[in-house]
Amino acid sequence: MMIINFFIQFLVAMIAIMSFSILFNAPKKEVIFCGFSGALGWIVYYILVRNYKVSIIVSALVATATLTIFSRAFAVIRMHPATIYLLPGIFPLVPGAGIYYTAYYLITKQHALFAQKGLETFEVAVAIVFGIIFGFAIPQTLLAKLGIIFHRKKTNTEN
Amino acid sequence: MVKTKEILTLTVEIGDAMLRNGAEIYRIEDSLARILKAYDIKNFDVYVLSNGIFASANEGLDDACSVIRHTPLGDVNLGKISALNQLTRDICCKNCDVETAWKRLDECLNIPSPKKSYLIFFCGLGCACFGYLYGGSLIDSFMAFLAGMVLKWFLMVCEKRKYSRFTKNVFSSMIATFLSLIPLYVNLPVSQDKIVIGIIMPLVPGMTFTTSIRDFYNGDYLCGAIHLIDALLTALCIAAGVGIVISIYQQTPGGMSLL
Repeated sequence: MMIINFFIQFLVAMIAIMSFSILFNAPKKEVIFCGFSGALGWIVYYILVRNYKVSIIVSALVATATLTIFSRAFAVIRMHPATIYLLPGIFPLVPGAGIYYTAYYLITKQHALFAQKGLETFEVAVAIVFGIIFGFAIPQTLLAKLGIIFHRKKTNTEN
Repeated sequence: MVKTKEILTLTVEIGDAMLRNGAEIYRIEDSLARILKAYDIKNFDVYVLSNGIFASANEGLDDACSVIRHTPLGDVNLGKISALNQLTRDICCKNCDVETAWKRLDECLNIPSPKKSYLIFFCGLGCACFGYLYGGSLIDSFMAFLAGMVLKWFLMVCEKRKYSRFTKNVFSSMIATFLSLIPLYVNLPVSQDKIVIGIIMPLVPGMTFTTSIRDFYNGDYLCGAIHLIDALLTALCIAAGVGIVISIYQQTPGGMSLL
């Protein structure tokens, strides 16, 4: 049952990110890869928060790092800039909900909740920063090796 | 030697196109340097900011020239970034002389965006899916789907009329919040917060934020700061739009606490 739930989450996240990458005019062949890397980031976040009860800050960090690494891997394999996979993929992790709740609690004068949500939104943003930095800290040479392996396989099958 | 001037102009035009479509600064500087090297210009300098490009080549020689471009902050267009990247790659492999490069640059700039009806549909679909991901029910998602389409239509009107970013963000988040309140009035069993969160996703400055972090990471602090301020102001505009509508809603008769 749980696995079905994860699968649904993955699929919905993939559709969401694919539609957004179409909004930003991603190349048609890459849309599915955008969806895949982004959905992977979301599912990591979802599993960590729901199943392992990890704090959303650590989860956001791990999920962003996963997303960044996969974006870079796809960039090497598919020969496109990593930006294409990273930018749409970041959407589910960005604290849009946090912005809404912060504004809501401020307007309704629930100051304790406002401070809590505002701080949480800020912390998630910082976690995303570090996630991206960790993702980019992996040296390009390592990923280039992956590219070499992949492209060699491809040329082998073509021959 | 008219050539130097032509090459430098081509290079800066490519850089300008990349900048307009939201590539990060480090990549642009790197690409421009590679292009100039590929065309055998050895003595050059390129400096790129989030809204400007400065480049000079062969300083101190007879054919010295320099180019400055002012580029306003634009919207992200992944297809164009990718096509320009491919163009740069081909130039660096020396597969592409200056004239073909000009032609291909024109092709890159004229990559068509999807039809408006597609954009509206996919915006709705994306909003619906995000509403579901953040814990909304199927009815919530459906409402987010309808409202997301209206929102995208509004955003396209704003683009056409060239409204400022502030106006665009504040008014569209007001519309998003307003649309999410409609199902409450007709007494549908919805959770309003999940619908709003779905609908404001296209407005949330995730892309600018990411670009800003990458600029900081590559040491372009000034550009990173400009993008970061842009992201923060967008977030503030969204919050302001939400706040305005909710405070009005609470003053109206029948307006209740939402959460």
